[in-house]
Amino acid sequence: MKILIIEDEKDLQNSMLQFLRQESYICEVASSEEEADEKIMLYDYDCILLDINLPDGSGLNILKKLKEVNKPEGIIIITARDSLDDRVEGLNLGADDYLTKPFHLSELNARVSAVIRRKQFGGSNKIKFHEIAVDLPGKLVTVNDRVVELTRKEYDLLIFLLANKNRVVSKNAIAEHLSGDHAEMLDKFDFLYSHMKNLKRKLAEAGSEDYIKTIYGLGYKFST
Amino acid sequence: MRLLQVSLRSSLLYSLVIVLISIPVSLLSLHKILNDEVDELLAAHTAEFLKHIKTFDYLEDLETDLEVFDQLAYDIDIRPSDDQDTGASRYETISSYDSVAHERRPFRELSSQVIIKGKPYVLTLRMSLVDNDELIYAIGLVQFALIVLLAGGLLLLNRSLSKKLWEPFYKTLSQLKAYQVDKSGTIAVVKTNIIEFNDLNQTVSHLADRNRKVFLHQKEFIENASHELQTPLAIFQAKLDLLMQKPGMSEAEAALITDLEATAQRMARLNKNLLLLSKIDNEQFTGKEEVEVSKLADDLLSNITFTADAENVSITRTLEPLRINANKALIEILLTNLFHNAVRHTPEGNVQVQLHDHTLTVTNHGKPLTMDPGKMFDRFTKESPKSSSTGLGLAIVKRICDTYGYGLSYRYENGCHVFSVGFNGVA
Repeated sequence: MKILIIEDEKDLQNSMLQFLRQESYICEVASSEEEADEKIMLYDYDCILLDINLPDGSGLNILKKLKEVNKPEGIIIITARDSLDDRVEGLNLGADDYLTKPFHLSELNARVSAVIRRKQFGGSNKIKFHEIAVDLPGKLVTVNDRVVELTRKEYDLLIFLLANKNRVVSKNAIAEHLSGDHAEMLDKFDFLYSHMKNLKRKLAEAGSEDYIKTIYGLGYKFST
Repeated sequence: MRLLQVSLRSSLLYSLVIVLISIPVSLLSLHKILNDEVDELLAAHTAEFLKHIKTFDYLEDLETDLEVFDQLAYDIDIRPSDDQDTGASRYETISSYDSVAHERRPFRELSSQVIIKGKPYVLTLRMSLVDNDELIYAIGLVQFALIVLLAGGLLLLNRSLSKKLWEPFYKTLSQLKAYQVDKSGTIAVVKTNIIEFNDLNQTVSHLADRNRKVFLHQKEFIENASHELQTPLAIFQAKLDLLMQKPGMSEAEAALITDLEATAQRMARLNKNLLLLSKIDNEQFTGKEEVEVSKLADDLLSNITFTADAENVSITRTLEPLRINANKALIEILLTNLFHNAVRHTPEGNVQVQLHDHTLTVTNHGKPLTMDPGKMFDRFTKESPKSSSTGLGLAIVKRICDTYGYGLSYRYENGCHVFSVGFNGVA
């Protein structure tokens, strides 16, 4: 999997690079519109992370050019300007997702993997992890071919953890992921604990091993 | 009291005093002029009389004739005198009975010592004077009429002046009253030919322009500052995420990272809310559509029910259908903030959401406020120093209500906090 990170802020670029490389993606970076243009024309990527505010132009230009040459990449727009117009314009121009700064790297990772899966597998998009299988278009979770009935939040939680498997995911990141725009009252994690408890119980009842480990003081890790 | 009334009062008072003073002055001077005139006439008549009497010197019984004449002529007395001193004359004003008018009237007399045919006589000529009372009456009447005309005229003039002359002033005043630095553009200058008003208008519009510019700069600054903060916050968050992956971390270290992360999130949220406020101020939420409030509220409540359950807060709702025309994103923020506020400040118990008669009411149990309820909707006022609260949620609610002209009110009754939003503008 090849990913191009177009981001002018070196520090952020490096962090994204470091995090995504651990996911065994092949990552390249570009810091300006010119550099990005060059790379896009020369190589094919599975996913492009595009910062809209670049020093030498708007990332929306790059997006337009990409669509002109009909490249099949998945594109995630990253911006500091959380403006509705930008979002609408970006998505209209063919971006697949939209992420506002600041974001959790685990959230970025989940979005990247979702975009790549959607692009690559289309209708038969499945995640398999040992005995757990998830049919993404059907939102169906099975353990050893036994269907596990999950609520929407539990399902979202499982997908998020699977996308970030073998990584520590903080309570804050999970809570923010689950509540989306309603992240106003995150001073308590009680709701998260109960979602987590229910998910673990349902997976265990279906015969799955306990892959979700609690990292004390930090969050959770989905690992073998 | 209006300015014109003040100046009118002074000028009225002044003219009254002048008119009052003019009554005795004109009376006295008229008197003097009339007396002088009469005196001159009397002297002329006396001289004439003496000149004519000389032509009768030849008459034998002139003495008797004079006696008869004295009896016949009403306004001439001629009597023999003992005084030999000729040429002396005396003016005096007397009052005597006027048989024609049947009243006492003032008369002016000139008594002169004259010699006729060698005999001394006193010749007295008299003329009726204008009655003082009548004079005063006449002058008083004229002056009174003057006062009435003056005052009436001034009042009428004042009324039409205050309407016409001050019109540009009142126009400017009403514009100033309606001026809101965040909404109004510039103050339109009404051209007048009064220099002072032109000056005033120009100063006012200049001031308004400058205020508006400062206000816009400040607004822009807040928006730019918030945007600029997003990137460093993103870097901070990303580094924390990387640090978290470090194996073999102690629980204390992990707790530190979690705290840092929570703080970063709080900063991000604060920043986001500031940005949101400034966007509402900048009217960047322009698109309007028909929003079914009850449906939206129902969805949002379903979203937070689980969170509320986890904190032992139950949510009950009675929602009547209500359609409004507004920006959906803004209405969503409005509702979300109100609901979150209610859940956040309920220690344990029930949150009631009611949509009835164009009014949304959110009621939650809770201790009475310790802060001033008047500051409830101000920025950065917090009832409890809960770490994750930004103190901007209700300020945003207020701003949205202001934008659409919805009525927003808060009251505390029966141990409950009650917030209501009147979508028809009634608080």
